[in-house]
Order: sequence, then structure tokens, then C-alpha cells
Amino acid sequence: MIQINNLKKAYGKKVVLSIDDLTINERELVGIVGNNGAGKTTMLSLILDLIEPSRGSVKSKDQLVSKVDDWKNYTGSYLNEGFLIPFLTPQEFLEFIGKLHGLNSKDVKEFMNENAAFYAEDITSKKYIRELSAGNKNKVGILASILSAPEILILDEPFSNLDPSSQSWLKSKLKKLNNEGVTILISSHDLKHVTDVCNRILLIENGLIVKDKNTNAETLEELENYFNVR
Amino acid sequence: MIELLIHQWKEKVRSPYWQKSIWLNIVLGIIGVYVMLNIVFIGFFADFILLKVFPDTDVVQSFTRILFYYFAFDLIFRFFAQQIPALSVQPYLTLPIPKSKLLHYPLIKSFSSFINVVALLLILPFFGKVICTTFPPMFCLCWIITVLSFIATNNFLNFSLKKYFSKRPLLILFLLVIVGLIIYLDINKSVSFSGYFSADLLSISRAPFLVVIPLTIATLSYYIGYNMLKKNAYIEDIQTNQHLNTSSLSFLSHYGEIGNLMRTEIKMILRNKRPKSLMYVTVIFFAYGFIFYQEKNINNYVILIFTGFFLTSIFAIQYGQFSFSWESSFFDSYLANKIAPFNYLKSKYLLFAFTSLFGFVVTLPYALISYKIGFINAAMLLYNIGISSVVLLYICTWNTSRIDLGRSQFMNYQGTGVTQFLSIIPIAGFPIIVYLLFKYFGVPEYSIYALGLIGLIAIVFNKYMLQLLTRQFIKRRYKMALGFRQI
Repeated sequence: MIQINNLKKAYGKKVVLSIDDLTINERELVGIVGNNGAGKTTMLSLILDLIEPSRGSVKSKDQLVSKVDDWKNYTGSYLNEGFLIPFLTPQEFLEFIGKLHGLNSKDVKEFMNENAAFYAEDITSKKYIRELSAGNKNKVGILASILSAPEILILDEPFSNLDPSSQSWLKSKLKKLNNEGVTILISSHDLKHVTDVCNRILLIENGLIVKDKNTNAETLEELENYFNVR
Repeated sequence: MIELLIHQWKEKVRSPYWQKSIWLNIVLGIIGVYVMLNIVFIGFFADFILLKVFPDTDVVQSFTRILFYYFAFDLIFRFFAQQIPALSVQPYLTLPIPKSKLLHYPLIKSFSSFINVVALLLILPFFGKVICTTFPPMFCLCWIITVLSFIATNNFLNFSLKKYFSKRPLLILFLLVIVGLIIYLDINKSVSFSGYFSADLLSISRAPFLVVIPLTIATLSYYIGYNMLKKNAYIEDIQTNQHLNTSSLSFLSHYGEIGNLMRTEIKMILRNKRPKSLMYVTVIFFAYGFIFYQEKNINNYVILIFTGFFLTSIFAIQYGQFSFSWESSFFDSYLANKIAPFNYLKSKYLLFAFTSLFGFVVTLPYALISYKIGFINAAMLLYNIGISSVVLLYICTWNTSRIDLGRSQFMNYQGTGVTQFLSIIPIAGFPIIVYLLFKYFGVPEYSIYALGLIGLIAIVFNKYMLQLLTRQFIKRRYKMALGFRQI
């Protein structure tokens, strides 16, 4: 589904990400873990063609993401607040995104009803997105990313700022989407969530993938040991 | 208190914009000093100027009369331009600092506003040169105290006015009409407001105990401002909780992706301070016709072309020069979502076209002055839609400075780069060059046809031009997005 080849991103002399070869297969649910500054967001931004690689390429369905826009049709994403339009209400924002994918406001409403367990009243009120709390902004972004029923879903720290019930809702949602065939790529600081949800884990440190493992019973402990301050 | 000021200073100095564009700041600094010197110059030679203009009136009297106008405009200008530094106290509200201190701080800090500096630069030289040398010391002291009180009153009154009127935008127009009426009556000599003002000012200065009056007014305005801040010093008030009053603009929703994008952009303009105030300014610019379309200019094609150009493009240029930068806080979402670059650019092109058309229609009554005006403006409309809007967008692909939408427009240079200064020159200069070319061949009138024709051709081939633009946009997108992310 996604192929990364010889990819490198550097700012001046400082290499922030370097991946020789990485393939993310269809129907995988991949978690990226790593400390702050390890290169997680950089990697996701490169996959989404938001920043220019210093070298190498990212392919989605065998097409270069930097050359062909097709991936935008089947990729849902939410990295940070920069993905939200601050002066719209959540409703308007979702309709805006929906329209880009040919959904009308009725479809969006249906979608909202389906996922009503995820969000609080603030999201349906007339507040502008810029007035929402960090958690609610995050929710709007996540909702927008799955609104168009994407084949690939890319989320950067989706669990941050979420309340416990939304976290567990999101976990089961991700699993459900994955079961339905969606390829998912998430980054997170929460090792427990990642091992719960993902079936493959990438551990990034200083811009390099140092571990690439399928999740099993020992993964959580292994990761916890790894991140324990040595 | 001092620490707060230090923080404020750091906020200024450490803002990335300040650090990033040091050259622009140097240029602006030089311009600022130059303007200041000019103001001092005017203040210092005010007596000469006044004697030239009003040879029969006593210089001091004419000066105080003009002060009346000055203060009237000062108040209006402050209303639009002076920022209330209320938001900056937000992080301190939960800290163990007495609230009263926090509230006095923005009021006191507002003294350092450039508007006050300008007032002082204008008045002090005159005071030193004329008042001090002709009147006894006591009179001078009272005079300057009174004048300074007025400046302070305006300064503090603005706090309350801003709070009050920002929720009632229609009243602003009403206020402007009243001020206009007062000035009209004054100039017509029906009711001499400035005369009363001048007489009062001089009589206060003659009777020292009356100084209490302006001082009281100033103090009172301070406390009104203080109370206003006190009432509004809660976070939920600081956040603008406006209600949705933008109509849903649903008529645009029938036009697919482009309509969808235009709708969002219009909402952006209407719901954010800076683009919105820009829109108001644009409306004021429509009145420029009254200045330029005068009897003596009616055969001056250069002026007519220039004015026509600005009247039919003012919004597109004022707003459009920051194209893409406006969207910097969510530019990534535009890149990552299913938006075809061509459609994105076309939505902007159409928006410019509509605003140009709007400008043309609104200023059409100027054609009553001379049919030539309507004729030239129509040609300029075609030129602006066809050429200016595309060229402007092309230049704007070099915009990489972020703009925060929340801040007000006035004296806000965020996002201003060399691009902006340079972008206007080719667009506005081209029609003049065409005119001069035709003039050289002895047929200046035909330049208007030529400009209209050029515009028309460009409109017909707009798809091709937009494709070129799209290619450029795709090439520049990483650089733009990178710049827009720098908070």
C-alpha cells in the first residue's frame, strides 16, 4: 500500500529522518512509537507530501505521492491543529471536507449520528473550532479524517487530550475500521494503547527505525523496558 | 509591574516575525523615523503654515481650532487603529498578582501607543516655540496640561468605545455620520464647534483653577476604561464568543468544489478580524473617487486610469496580496485533502473577479461626472479580472510568511514581505505604460480600448493562464507550507 524508499529528510546537516526501505501492507494497523523529536511526525508529513524529502520517495499504491494526487482520494489524515479551519464550526468543517469527497450534508449528519458516542455537545454547538478545547479539536480532526471512508488512515497521536471513554471508543473504532480493510498508521506516546490496537509496531529513534515488529504478548513489556530511562 | 513590561518587550522582540525579517524592520524603522521628523517639522513650523492659510487669525487661535479637528479624527483613528492590549494579560490571570495591577497595566501601557507619540511630536514643538514665548508661564502650564488631558481622555475613552462599538458595528457608521455632520456644520460656519473649543481651551488656560475640569475628565475616562476592563477580565470574555451571523452562503454550494472553496474563503473574511477590517477599509477607499475625480483631472488620463484601476481592484489587491498567507493556519489541510490545485486557484480567481465587479458597480455613479470615467473603469475592470488577479496570485506563490487571522489589520505588518511591496508595481504600472505608449503615437484614447481588449483576451484564455499558475503553485507548495508553519 505504502512504500518508502531510501527516504531522507534533513534540515541543513541535521538528518531528522532516514528510512532505507519500508513497506506498509494493505490492512495493516501500524503504530509508530518514539520519543519527542524522534521523527514520527516528520515521517507522517512526508507520507502526506506536506514536506519535501531531501532524498528518496514515498509511493502510495505504486504512485509517487509528490507527483500524483490520487492518494488524496483514499487517504484520511489528521496530524495537528493545522488541519482544522479555525473559523468554521465543527459542523461546517465536516461538511466542507465531506463535500470534497462528494458527500452532502445529509451524509455528514448520518456519519455524525453513527459516531455520536465519540463527541460531546461542544462539537454540535455553534462554537467555532478555534474556541474548542484541545481534546475537542482533536476529535473534530479525527472525525474529519474518517468521514470520507478512506482506505488509508494516518493519525498523529490520536489519543492525546482525549478523555478515557473517547480513548476506548477510538481504539475499538480503529480496530473496526481495520477489520473492514482500512490500512492505518498512527503514532503515539501511549505504549499501552499502541500495543492494544496495532498489529505492527515501528520504533523510531533519532530518525531511524530501530525496531519493526509484529505485536505479540510480550511487546508491551519489551517497549516499556526499551523506554525506561537507562 | 516592571516584570510585566519586560515580558511584553520580550514578546515583541522574540516574535518570530521580528527576528525573521530584520531587513524589513530596518526599512520600516527608517520610514518611521522619517515620518516622525516630518511630524516634528510640521509642529515646529505650524505657526508659519497657519499664517499662510489663515492670515487674518491669531496663530494660537487657529492652532487650537485645528486641535479640535485633530482630536475628533484622533478619536476615530484610535478606534480603528489602536489595539487594546487586554489579551496579553491572559496568562497572568491565574498567577498571584493582584488583579487591579493587571488591569492598570494595559491602561498605562497604552500611553506608549504611536498615536500618542504623534500627538506629542505635533504639539510640543508648537508649544515650545509659540506658546511659551508669547504667554506667561502659568498660562503655558495650564495650556499644556489641558491639551495633554485631552490626549489622555481620547486614549482611555477608546478602551470603552472599542468594547462598546465592537459589538454594534452599525453604530460606528452612525458615529461617523455625527462627526461628519459636526465638521460639516463647523466648516459651513453654521455652528462653530471648533470656535467654542478654542475659546474654552484659551479661557481654561487663563484661569488656572479651571484646569481641574480637563484633568477630571481625563481621570474619569481612565476609570471608565478601568471598569470596562475589570468587567471583561475573564477568559471567556476575552475569547470572542460571537454568534454565527454569517448566512450559510448556501447558494455557493451548488458550484461543486470551487463553490465550496469560495464559500470557505468568504467565511474566513467575514469571521476573522484582520481580513474583515480590511474589507471595511476597502469600502472607505471607494470614496477616493471624490478626491481624484476633480474638474482639473478630468482630462488627465494617467490619474483616471490609476483611479479606475484602484476602484475596481482595491479589495483584490489589498486582500489578494496576502493570498495563501491568509490560509497559513490550515494550509496543510488544503494540501492533504482532496482539493485540486487548479480548482483552489480558480476559486481565488473568481473571488477577485466578483469583488472587482462589485467595486465597478458601486463606483459606477462616478461616471455621472464624466462618461469617460465609466468607460475607463470598465476597461480597467476587464484588465483587473483578466490580468491583475492572475499576476497577483502568481506573485503570491512567493508568500511564505504566516498570518494569524485573529489580529487586527491596522499597523499590522505580519505577513508583509518584499513580495507585497513589489507585487503592486507591475500590475499597476502596466496600464500606465500602455497609455504612454499610445500617447507616444499620438492616440492616447486608444490605450483604453487596448487595455480592455487585453483584459478581455486574458479572460477568454483564463483556463490556460490558470494552468500556468497551477504549475507554479505546485512547484512552490512545500516552501509555502514550510513558511506558513512557522508560528
